[in-house]
Amino acid sequence: MTGIVLALFGAALAVGLSGIGSAMGVGLVGQSAAGVISEDPDKFGQTLLLQALPGTQGIYGLLTGFIIMQRIGVIGGGLLPLTPEQGFSILMASLPIAIVGLLSGIYQGRAAASGIGLIAKRPEELGKAIIFAVMVETYAVLALLASIMMLFGIAV
Amino acid sequence: MPIVDMKKIFLFSHQQEKDTVINILRDIGVVELVDIKESNEWEEMKSLLVPEWSADAVSFYESLLGEVRYCLDFLQRHFPLQKNFVQQFAGAKINLTPAQYEDYISRKEEIKAVYQSCRKMDEKLTNLRNEETRCHNLLQSLAPWAGFSLPLEKVENTLRIQMQLFTVATDELPSLQKSLTEISPDHYLEVVSSDKELTYFLLISLSEEAGVVREALKESGATEISFPGIAGTAAQAISMLKEKLENIQHERAELLKKVEDLINYRPHLMAYYDFLEDERDKKEAINKLAGTKTSFMLEGWIPLPLLSSLEKVLSEKTETAFLLSRDPKAEEKAPVLLQNGGAADAFEVVTKLYSTPSRREIDPTPLMAPFFFVFFGLCLTDAGYGILLSLLAIIIFRKIKLAGMGKQLIKLLFLGGISSFIMGVLMGGWFGDLVKLKPLWFNPLDDPMRMLIVCFVLGFIQIFFGMGVRAYQDIKAGRILDAVFDQGLWFILLIGLISLAFPQFSAAGKWLAICGAIGLILTQGRSQKNIFRKFFSGLVSLYNITGYLSDVLSYSRLLALGLATGVIASAINTMGGLLAGSIVGVIIMIILLIGGHFFNLIIGTLGAYVHTSRLQYIEFFGKFFEGGGKAFQPFCKTTKYVDIEEREA
Repeated sequence: MTGIVLALFGAALAVGLSGIGSAMGVGLVGQSAAGVISEDPDKFGQTLLLQALPGTQGIYGLLTGFIIMQRIGVIGGGLLPLTPEQGFSILMASLPIAIVGLLSGIYQGRAAASGIGLIAKRPEELGKAIIFAVMVETYAVLALLASIMMLFGIAV
Repeated sequence: MPIVDMKKIFLFSHQQEKDTVINILRDIGVVELVDIKESNEWEEMKSLLVPEWSADAVSFYESLLGEVRYCLDFLQRHFPLQKNFVQQFAGAKINLTPAQYEDYISRKEEIKAVYQSCRKMDEKLTNLRNEETRCHNLLQSLAPWAGFSLPLEKVENTLRIQMQLFTVATDELPSLQKSLTEISPDHYLEVVSSDKELTYFLLISLSEEAGVVREALKESGATEISFPGIAGTAAQAISMLKEKLENIQHERAELLKKVEDLINYRPHLMAYYDFLEDERDKKEAINKLAGTKTSFMLEGWIPLPLLSSLEKVLSEKTETAFLLSRDPKAEEKAPVLLQNGGAADAFEVVTKLYSTPSRREIDPTPLMAPFFFVFFGLCLTDAGYGILLSLLAIIIFRKIKLAGMGKQLIKLLFLGGISSFIMGVLMGGWFGDLVKLKPLWFNPLDDPMRMLIVCFVLGFIQIFFGMGVRAYQDIKAGRILDAVFDQGLWFILLIGLISLAFPQFSAAGKWLAICGAIGLILTQGRSQKNIFRKFFSGLVSLYNITGYLSDVLSYSRLLALGLATGVIASAINTMGGLLAGSIVGVIIMIILLIGGHFFNLIIGTLGAYVHTSRLQYIEFFGKFFEGGGKAFQPFCKTTKYVDIEEREA
């Protein structure tokens, strides 16, 4: 059973930590956005776009969690008998997106919140505000890739 | 030629025809006005011409605009215009025929009256709100005394006795009662009401003991309460206040009804607002002119293809207007207008969000468009989502009148949907795994490594293409050495390094890479003077290899995002499949599938758009494109609230 427990722990970390990161990031942007909306309600669409950006880490985490659950048979089909080594490997594979998702979500939130300040003054610069935030997300995407590659590489 | 050639124009005319000329320019909307005082020739013309001045007229319109804006805000506050989700992004305008528009803007007096009544009603409503707050506060402080039977005005000090109302913290009450019994045995204390925190009581004591009683009260933190100006018992006062509040509600409802009558004027106000803004813009335009007593001169930019039509209109509609034009001088920063034919038009929005190209560069839009198309599709890789996205784009395009960048964006999403459909068919994604169709090529879920390599290859192609464009620009500008040393040698080195990965080419690759590297070491320091500096700069430049490496690795996001869309879609299907047992389960499953896939489509599209844009901006544009041009902003009629249907020509 140890193998399954470790693998589930990995799934929980991937979903949980990156979810926290996204929640914090989205929250940060929401605070700034609400301030801008109080002055100019017409910017709702633009600010919502920026607020959605730090939300992706949570989705990447969920994605990793789903892949783990699918690989070990929690979803669809019975539980696979995992050795402790296999379980531990899956736990390790979940770490990139868990850790990077948590931190990059927060920092992307900060970049996007500053972007909100940017479009409050110069709405035509939305594209640049988005790019600044997306620069942060690159590392979450890379972490997701690492996690997925490891998961597909582990034989169960 | 995607960047349209510009001509500088100088327009001379008689002062009497100034308004006519301004109106013509505004109606055809193809000329960007230049403030003549900032132009290069101003120094020479200063002695002959006087700048036109219309700041008074501008501020006149500004103040009228302020009034109309106030009315619109006031109406919006009480009877907000609802916008749906798409309108939040695209904005909502009302449609008017030219006749309606003329009619609406002619009613100056009515609009003045509307403004006056808005002001009046706003004031009344504010007063009512203040009164209401006061009543509410009073009600709240009276509520604990509701059970007190003595009329409140009777609670007063006489010669012999002190009679007062107090509140005290409920915890403190026993100790207060104890100390009062000690110092003033004859006091009378009646608790009127009490809750967890505070106790409300009446205290009667002899006047001669007033000092010590006050001390005891102070010690326990009791506060005196008084209700000045209230007659009768608290219960009576409360019912009176409630009545008053009801009256206030009535009054407000009646006022709001009157405000509601004003709503009919909202279209008028909106039209008038746009009219005023238009007038103000025209007056502001006059500020940019210069003239003599009888003539004036106007300076501006016009796209070359439109010059003849302007000449034609001017000669038809005016008697004195005279047009001169010339090519932009080298030191002048002419505005830039992009014009891409066909499908490439939609991708202009991507370029513009980065930067308008400068006049010396080529427009990167058509170069970037095919890459954007393919990458966007790879980020979704789902045929079902592709169809949905294209359909959504068509619906939005039909339903909402969009112009400029909004229109381009919707077209871009439509094309993205098509691309996603193609990729989905190639790689077997139909709403995740909802419809199991065999992929035409291969499924990235089965062989992610192969897909990763495909992404890297695409990345290499785009990066090499970007370097090629840079080399082309250098050669065209006569910097052939730069093209050979900076781009050519990197080509050799990178191709050499890639060939190392294939056993059959590895020997040739090794020598290619070494040649390239040596070439770079020898040439990259060529701007340095000292021979050692030359060598070291060349050596250090090899470090840029990490830049190329990270550029290529960056394309791995295509795999990650494509997998993400597919796997989340499959997860939604799996969750739905778990529910399908009973009839209720099937209903929930359908709701879950529709909601889930729609959510995934929105998130996936957002991700595809921003990440594909990023690949263009950082990895591709970074190789050759600088931007920094000034976008062409013609003097034209812009409206905020109303759309006037085209007049018959």
